[in-house]
Amino acid sequence: MGRLAVLRWQALSVAVAFLAWEAAVRVGLLDPLFVPAPSMVLHALPSLAAEALPRLLDTFGTTALGYAIAAAVGVPAGLLLGSRRLLHDVAMPYVVALYGVPKILILPWIALVFGIGLSTAVLSAAVFAVFPIVVLVAAGARDVDPTLVTVAVSMGATRGQIGRKVLLPAVLPSVLTGLRIAMVFAILGVLLAEMLAGHRGMGYLMQRQAMAFKAPELFASTAIVSALSVSVVAVPLKKKQRLGQWR
Amino acid sequence: MKLWIGRAVVLVVALLAWEVAASMLNPILYVGPSRLPAALGRVLSVRYLPPLGSHLWLTLGEVVAAFLLAVASGLWVGFVLGLQKTLGRIYEPLLAVLYAVPSVIWYPSLMLFFGLGPASKIAFGFLLGFLPVTLSVLAGIRQVPESLVTVAVSMGAGPGAVFRKVMLPAMAGTLAGGLRTGLALSVVGVLVGEVLGARAGLGYVLTYAYGLLMTAEYAALVVIVAAAVLTVDALGALVEARVRRWAD
Amino acid sequence: MTAAEAAPIVVEGVSKRYQTPSGAVTAVEEVSLTVRPGEFVSLLGPSGCGKSTVLLMIGGLVRPDAGRIVIEGEPSSGPNPKKVALAFQDPGLFPWRTALDNVGFGLELQGLPAARRREIALGLLEPMGLKGFEAKYPRELSGGMRQRVAIARALALDTPILLMDEPFGALDEQTRLLMGEWLVGVRRRTRRTIVFVTHSLQEAIALSDRIVVMTARPGRVKDVIEVPLPFPRDLGSPEVADLRAKLWGQVREESLRAMESSA
Repeated sequence: MGRLAVLRWQALSVAVAFLAWEAAVRVGLLDPLFVPAPSMVLHALPSLAAEALPRLLDTFGTTALGYAIAAAVGVPAGLLLGSRRLLHDVAMPYVVALYGVPKILILPWIALVFGIGLSTAVLSAAVFAVFPIVVLVAAGARDVDPTLVTVAVSMGATRGQIGRKVLLPAVLPSVLTGLRIAMVFAILGVLLAEMLAGHRGMGYLMQRQAMAFKAPELFASTAIVSALSVSVVAVPLKKKQRLGQWR
Repeated sequence: MKLWIGRAVVLVVALLAWEVAASMLNPILYVGPSRLPAALGRVLSVRYLPPLGSHLWLTLGEVVAAFLLAVASGLWVGFVLGLQKTLGRIYEPLLAVLYAVPSVIWYPSLMLFFGLGPASKIAFGFLLGFLPVTLSVLAGIRQVPESLVTVAVSMGAGPGAVFRKVMLPAMAGTLAGGLRTGLALSVVGVLVGEVLGARAGLGYVLTYAYGLLMTAEYAALVVIVAAAVLTVDALGALVEARVRRWAD
Repeated sequence: MTAAEAAPIVVEGVSKRYQTPSGAVTAVEEVSLTVRPGEFVSLLGPSGCGKSTVLLMIGGLVRPDAGRIVIEGEPSSGPNPKKVALAFQDPGLFPWRTALDNVGFGLELQGLPAARRREIALGLLEPMGLKGFEAKYPRELSGGMRQRVAIARALALDTPILLMDEPFGALDEQTRLLMGEWLVGVRRRTRRTIVFVTHSLQEAIALSDRIVVMTARPGRVKDVIEVPLPFPRDLGSPEVADLRAKLWGQVREESLRAMESSA
């Protein structure tokens, strides 16, 4: 089946799903109080925009900050862990263990110490995003083909030259993958922090809409945040494909 | 041998640093490891906090329910999309899009629909665990070597036999990995749900302690829950390793 | 001409031991060898006889436990990019660099400007039949092409000595033969001293001025055989047949020994 046909079927399926959803509400199968019809959701969008826009900026701005911190800490840490065998073997189990602990558990404590506001959300994003970065970058650093290093050494490369001209480009695809995956985690961290503590951002808004049974507004908010998340993740994917061309 | 010493040293140094830092800072906010055992005792003795036992069972029940639902539906959807190639080509990309959305986005809607009771936690845990299972089925089917299938067919095996005797064993390892991830995510989903809004369960007890500024008790709870989660995942890893060894 | 100038490579009684989980293993034992300027010497022997280890020691990548290596009169203490260039069985091309940038890598390390590097690299790639491929990435090249780029990269350093560790080992038979012919041509043009590790008698006979036969582990020099035949070599001639028979007798013994010890 050709690409065009696949796309057409996908579009058709989505359209049919929405129509069925709309019909189910109209007919009474779904209670609009809990599951609003798509038409109601669309109707709620314009009035939502006024309140949502500053909150969206808040959420995604906070994400960017936390993400930057995670990258600044995680990439060097991952490179260090991956390149030094002893360090890797000793420390990695702890990193993996910490990665496996649900970070939601310490979120209340972060909120307690850093208060209800920006810093908690930023820190939350950073904590969530740093782990996939460290793990993936470390794996990439470990997997560098040793022959490449041997070639460089045989040509008299200094340590700095080996690092810059061999290790760094070899590790780049893993770094980019880690950074890309970490984006979703960062957004997750911010939303969680917003839902748990504070009055900022989309997370708080969605929580409040749920409590007030404002279903159409909630679904609209969910749709907007999802769409933005997907696009935030998709753009770097395109960039990565160009940079990682030689793979 | 040296490795274990190294790791032990790291642990001891970390605990010491934590203790020293905590003792220099506000004790209401910062709890050093030395205060944890006493706090643990208080948590278990049930005086200031809700009884831990019943909450533990509730959370466990929610996790089991969420995981079973995730596995059942994940396997079903995975096999349908994986074996029916055209359906797979159409719907798998749509599933992949879902993966790019931070899962917690769905939670307020689930809370609105199911309320604050266990149902919303089970639903959220199910949602989180479903995707890894499905994707692992798809990946597992894809990595079955074509040559194995060809051999079986050439010996006269019908589609049912090929499925049972060739595909399932060949994908067992990948599947086990997917189930393990699904379990881990179901656990996270349930816990997140309980922390964000619940009237019972481990996550609820956690926020209860946090709300009352009983930081030491809260820290003890975090350690217990974290240890429990890691143990569950370690068991999952063991099972996965066992399955992989058998499959290869 | 002083003695030092006369011998680009002098290997004096080198030995190398390794620690394995099952105890100490002597890979190379008391190997001595002198290579004359412009000579093509093959190190021939069964797998595990230490011939690669000897090569790596000459290249300064492995330090001998006993004995020493003297390169153009100076004792070797490490990689010597001005005098010695290496090519390995795995071409080891940097996958993120084009063929051109790969060839220019060694020159880049030495600080040569980009225009000059490009000039030299193109000059090396063209006679190899790779003109037009300089902008391709390694994944776009065949195995034989990759190996040629790797050798060009080694040649770019313009060193008097070239060390090659089974560079054609991973190629299919036809490509191997063609690469062998090509290498003979390169050697004729550039007059470098080449030490070549192989386990193929065919290759050793086709390419070398002298063949050093090594024993099974621990690797020692079993015999050194001169090949005074003119280039290009007629592999069907009676001299070659005699040589092959003689070599085979030696190598077979060692190969059997190697197989038994590993069984």
